[in-house]
Amino acid sequence: MASGVSGYAAISTRVRAMYSDLLTPQEMTRLGDSPDLPALVSALKNTPYGKYLSGIKDNEMTPRRIILQIRNRLADSYSSVVQQAPEQTRPLVKQLFRYFEVGNLKAVLRSIQTVSSWNSDVAAWDRVREVLFPFGAFASIPAQAMVESGSVASAVDLLHGSPYEATMSFAMKRFSAEQNLFPLEVALDLDFWRRLWAEIKNLKGKDREMGGKLIGSLLDLNNLMWVIRYKIYHNLSEEELINYTLPFGYRVRDEDVRAIAAGADIASVVSRIYPNIHDVNTLLDHPQSGLPKLEHLLKQQVMRQCVSAFIGYPFHIGLPLAYLLLSDFEIQDLVVLVEAKSSKLKDEEFRPLLLKTTLI
Amino acid sequence: MLFPKQMSEVELIVPSKDLVAVTRTLSGYGVFHQVDSAYLGLESQGPNAWQDKAGAYSTLERRIQAIMQNVGLAEEYPVKAEIESVVDMDAVRPGVDRIEEEVKGVSDQLSGERKRLELLESQLRQLEPIADVDVEVGALKKSSFMHSILGVVPSANISRLRTSLLRVPHVFFILREDAQKPVVWILGIRSNSDVLERAAKSAYLNPLSLPDEFGGTPEQITAMLRKEIESAKQRISGFEADLARLGGSYKSELQKLLWDVHISRVMADAIVRFGQLRHTYVVVGWAPTADLEDLTSRLKEASREILIETMATSRSGHHAQVPVALTQNKWLKPIQMLVGTYGHPSYGELDPTLLMAFTFPLLYGAMFGDLGQGLVMLVLGILMHNKIMMKGMQGLGLLIAYCGVSASLFGYLYGSIFGFEGHLVEEYLHFHFEPMWISPMENILSLLSIAIDVGIVILMFSFLLGMLNSIRSQDWAHLLFGHSGIAAFVFYICFLAMLGAFLGDTALAPRVAVAINSLPLPFTTLLAVFGVFVMFGGFFRNMVEGHTLIEGKGVGGFMMFLIQSLMDLIETVISMLSNTLSFIRVGAFAVAHGGLSLAIFSLAGEEPDAGFWITIVIGNLFIIGFEGLIVGIQTMRLHYYEILGKFFHGGGMQFEPLKLSSSQEET
Repeated sequence: MASGVSGYAAISTRVRAMYSDLLTPQEMTRLGDSPDLPALVSALKNTPYGKYLSGIKDNEMTPRRIILQIRNRLADSYSSVVQQAPEQTRPLVKQLFRYFEVGNLKAVLRSIQTVSSWNSDVAAWDRVREVLFPFGAFASIPAQAMVESGSVASAVDLLHGSPYEATMSFAMKRFSAEQNLFPLEVALDLDFWRRLWAEIKNLKGKDREMGGKLIGSLLDLNNLMWVIRYKIYHNLSEEELINYTLPFGYRVRDEDVRAIAAGADIASVVSRIYPNIHDVNTLLDHPQSGLPKLEHLLKQQVMRQCVSAFIGYPFHIGLPLAYLLLSDFEIQDLVVLVEAKSSKLKDEEFRPLLLKTTLI
Repeated sequence: MLFPKQMSEVELIVPSKDLVAVTRTLSGYGVFHQVDSAYLGLESQGPNAWQDKAGAYSTLERRIQAIMQNVGLAEEYPVKAEIESVVDMDAVRPGVDRIEEEVKGVSDQLSGERKRLELLESQLRQLEPIADVDVEVGALKKSSFMHSILGVVPSANISRLRTSLLRVPHVFFILREDAQKPVVWILGIRSNSDVLERAAKSAYLNPLSLPDEFGGTPEQITAMLRKEIESAKQRISGFEADLARLGGSYKSELQKLLWDVHISRVMADAIVRFGQLRHTYVVVGWAPTADLEDLTSRLKEASREILIETMATSRSGHHAQVPVALTQNKWLKPIQMLVGTYGHPSYGELDPTLLMAFTFPLLYGAMFGDLGQGLVMLVLGILMHNKIMMKGMQGLGLLIAYCGVSASLFGYLYGSIFGFEGHLVEEYLHFHFEPMWISPMENILSLLSIAIDVGIVILMFSFLLGMLNSIRSQDWAHLLFGHSGIAAFVFYICFLAMLGAFLGDTALAPRVAVAINSLPLPFTTLLAVFGVFVMFGGFFRNMVEGHTLIEGKGVGGFMMFLIQSLMDLIETVISMLSNTLSFIRVGAFAVAHGGLSLAIFSLAGEEPDAGFWITIVIGNLFIIGFEGLIVGIQTMRLHYYEILGKFFHGGGMQFEPLKLSSSQEET
């Protein structure tokens, strides 16, 4: 089993080369300066995203289509890393990639649940396919057949044999009773992160340390935002908050989550975990605008962890993971730009939403 | 046979009114490889109604397939399927709706009954852990002071569920440990029932939901459940019989509908990729030149006003965009499969199938020479090919049969039958069987030397084929200075002469190399001259092609170029040596085969009793299965690494003609 220098020599070099292809904050700023969507696309064609956008004709240049094409780059990056990663780390990378399939699965279920008024199956699938992540050969869900099945129960039946079957079979009992996708989505999220964490625990040495650090940071972000959102927006009880969150992570400990669930002051808990995030109180005073800002700041914390992975000993899974996460964050920024330009938002409305700044 | 079929480019201008008829001809004939007109810069005019039609046909086809699956019918078309036209959706949809509704009624009931059976079985499983508890389950619900929850919870959620209950007094039992569906029982005081219920619900605990009719102790409920399960199974059998009956009565109608919708979908898919002008459509694609005349006359029958332009494509030069149609021959199918695993020949390139059809069994047989085991393989291969055993592996069966024939012939030459050789044949099988050529175990070095000779001949032939390919593609630079070009070939000959001189009259010296060395040629001088050509191959190729002579000369300068060239030469010498010596394995495996047989004999003992013969039979089966597989892998390795790489590049685009059913392909 290849590990250490021999296992990582090739992939580290490749990932470093791909890392250098990520957009710089200056390039992101220049892209943001584009006057409109066509100008943005034209500017993007001069970046590594160019080859993904070159095939789109002018009449197909919709924001959804552009975003879909841009996401193809991330799919290619995952595919490349999965193929080159040492054998023992591949299950972890594959499971991390499933994050997007979980997103696709949620989108499919939402489309069935919320858009039942669509006239024909063709229109339904055509409308859904553009918002799905291009998962390609790794896909394990029959998305089109699910959309065309017409009901959530029939769609979930089609998941037989997929990694989601067991989780969904439990959650479907609640869906049948409540006719609400919330329990299905929470079950999918919890299952995804539990599996991902289990894959990290299967690793050894530096791989385990770096995997725990990077994926743990991402999990911290999710876990913390879940408990805060469920508490503030859904008014869930302590026991529900505990059951809808996870007891592991990198910085966020189970005690922190349980403290928030039990009614402790959220701002003081967050400030204790992240002392460099200021004014948490102010953010939480206006949750509608404050929580997205808090999430934005937490994402930047994860990005810093990712950037720091490229410093020091390079022969571990941290480098590929960090690159993939940074790539994802970059695409989130590009999505913001595409949406902003297509909606003609002003600079001050979208620039604060960009993750990649010179401060990272 | 040696080269892919000659192809012609076909351009059609089709009047809108004849669109469907022309598409039907193109799809029905199965010789036209369509090119998406979007790639040619032809845009369709406005919204394309065919796009929607193609989607609608596709959806309808899937619905029919789902119905057929529900009633247990295979997805087959009518025996006498006529290729008619694109069917009208409004004409076929009601038929599909009608059958679907009828089938759905029964299949929904069946599905409901299956779910009920699953529920009953799950309830039965849940009750097993408490089967010996002598209390009424219903009484737990009626308790005045206690609140009880009994149910199944995902195992991953148990720990979190326990944590969530820490703030209230409770008792938590895991009644059944199960990796997937553990059964738990939570008991707390009634005043905390809301907390207990919320915790259970948010941990996705599915309470044991026994219908009211199931009262009593677990033992009594279990008996009732078993009875219900039995009657549910009977009802399921009834519904399945109903579906089978529906399948029988609608079989021909469904097959006809599937065929009509299928051909409509295929045609609509094809039309979507046509270029649309104001009143005409532009169709572009490829067809084998031999089929062109027939295709043209059929198209003219379909449309009098069609404009057809064809252009034969010569095999010389580079034609990456030309689809490659290989000659179909059912006896060569397994070899084509092996070649396909390596790559698909490009247009104009030599198809190595025929060569490999000769060398693959030859090398396999040489490594696995045994008359008896070869005949067993032959019989096994014939059985597989004729679908008598291991159905679905006909191709592999044929390959095994070829290898079996070759192994038998070599077994005859080696004097080996089921591992018995020399005096062992007379002693145990009581007949005389001498090697007709050579006994591997007694002539080890000679056999190794012959193996290298065979390898040298094959490699030289591969070099020549590589040069032939370069000539056909008019790639003069690679013909002269490529890795399998003239310079490399002469260098290899000189290298062999040196090898012959070095090994001299030793037993291992390859005779071909010694013979080359005996030719009155200045091999040392030639080696030096052609060594320079090989060393600076990239430089000379650039010179012939008119490119920049030294690529990337700015990086590292001239010294770097020299070092790279020197490394190229060293790599060439090493690869020539390793390619040549690689064929030693052919002799080595022939010897190993004899050695493995001896090992079986040493296990069997000397007395020809029942134990002896059982060991011999098992040993032979082991050799056929284990060594047979390894020799197969080694034969493939020799072809992929040593032989094909010399002249075969692959990368051709597969010819995928428009066709209406998979049976056309077989035809």
